[in-house]
Amino acid sequence: MKAWDWNGFFEYLINPYLLQGALVTLGLTIAAVAGGLVVGGLLSLMRLSSFKSLVLISKAYLWVFRGTPLLVQLIIIYTGLPQLGIKFSVMESALLGLILNEAAYMSEIIRGGILGVSPGQSSAARALGLNSFQTMLHVVLPQAIRIIIPALGNSINGLLKTTSVTSVISMEELLRKTQILIQEKFMVLELFAVAALYYLLLTSLWDIVQRRIEARYGKAYKSISISEGH
Amino acid sequence: MKKSFTGFNMCSTLALLGLLAVSNTASAQACAPKVAATELVKPGTLVMSTNPTLPPMQFVDSAGVLKGMRITLGDEIAKRLCLKSEYIKIEFSAMVPGLQAGRWDVINTGIFWTEERAKLMQMIQYEAQAMSISVSKGNPLKISKPEDLAGRTVGVELGGFEERKLKELDESLKAKGLKPINIRTFDNFATAYQALRAGQTEASVSIDSTAAEYAKRGEFDRAISGMFATPVALAMKSPALAKAIEGVFNEMQKDGSYAKLMSEYGLLANKDPIKINGPTK
Repeated sequence: MKAWDWNGFFEYLINPYLLQGALVTLGLTIAAVAGGLVVGGLLSLMRLSSFKSLVLISKAYLWVFRGTPLLVQLIIIYTGLPQLGIKFSVMESALLGLILNEAAYMSEIIRGGILGVSPGQSSAARALGLNSFQTMLHVVLPQAIRIIIPALGNSINGLLKTTSVTSVISMEELLRKTQILIQEKFMVLELFAVAALYYLLLTSLWDIVQRRIEARYGKAYKSISISEGH
Repeated sequence: MKKSFTGFNMCSTLALLGLLAVSNTASAQACAPKVAATELVKPGTLVMSTNPTLPPMQFVDSAGVLKGMRITLGDEIAKRLCLKSEYIKIEFSAMVPGLQAGRWDVINTGIFWTEERAKLMQMIQYEAQAMSISVSKGNPLKISKPEDLAGRTVGVELGGFEERKLKELDESLKAKGLKPINIRTFDNFATAYQALRAGQTEASVSIDSTAAEYAKRGEFDRAISGMFATPVALAMKSPALAKAIEGVFNEMQKDGSYAKLMSEYGLLANKDPIKINGPTK
């Protein structure tokens, strides 16, 4: 067993099969983030609403989806639900599992951001005659976004790597494709190093995007943070 | 009184002799390991990796106890080498790297003999096996030959012989102009069969013995069997250990215990002396 095969490493680095896997991982992440934000946003609004029943439903949802592992949720959706006659395909199961699970965590992040906006803002908005919907849309949310981004960015970073769990239900994302290739020549270290690099590339790309978004939403606060006795 | 005194003497002498006899056999059973500690991952122990998802060859019962032909075989080999047997339950895909990394001494999971594997490890072929296709009870899709798998969703364990052969079959079907097989890889056979039961896949690949067992239990039908007949082996890293195990197999062939074990599980026993078929220097 060779210690490290540079040829093998570089070969696998440009392997189109692995690249495909990385794209599947990226695709799953983007879909899960989009779905998670929509469902999560809905959940946090329900949680903050004045209707007791909505609050209860939201709390129950959070309790279940944050209280059980994603792995268990995926297996239940893919292998368990068919026992009850509900069958989702591999892709549907993976997306459903990722979105429903991520939505629970995202809703708490969003709620935290909304709560982080000074209550004086919404009082002032109501005093000016805006209704609660307009207040939320034009006053609170734009300010909440700045607070939400770091935690949300963190969550998305985690989601990029969490997609590897879907390999358990036979989803062919980066990890599964890496495992399949290992059986070729058993270059374990080289192959997983390549996989790690791909994950690193994806998370780094997201880091850059996140910084851009933070800069855009933090424009109003930029001068305050930099100056100081200047 | 004299009589009882003599009687007591005789009894105690007999008891002493008995004790000596027992202690002799005890020391004979506590035999010295026939394999040097340097050749083993754990001295005095034969550490074997297995994936207990293939009844009746290797599986766990409802109490979590490891059972099956390969476990019986492993225990017997360890016993004859005066070693303690120890099993590590792990996915197949981790076994070859684990053997190379010195995590276990033997891969005892019914690993198929292939030329490339024989270049990496010492292998001893001892069991005749082949690939089978299991389907839902009643075989609703009427699968009876490999061509019927075209366009079907088939589940298989990740990284094994079966996955490779299924891919080869897929290529041959595509070459004939038939629809490709939608191959779904799972961590192990158990999860692959769960997917079949859930209707997520239309067929599941396994080995002849396991597919037959599931058919016997009435859970799945065995649609096709005897595909890609290839011997199955034990795989080791240490040549010295391999030589010792080869010796045990030859012993078992001579005293008939090997043939007996094979026939118990409906398998064909090797007629020729079992030998190592591994890397050539």
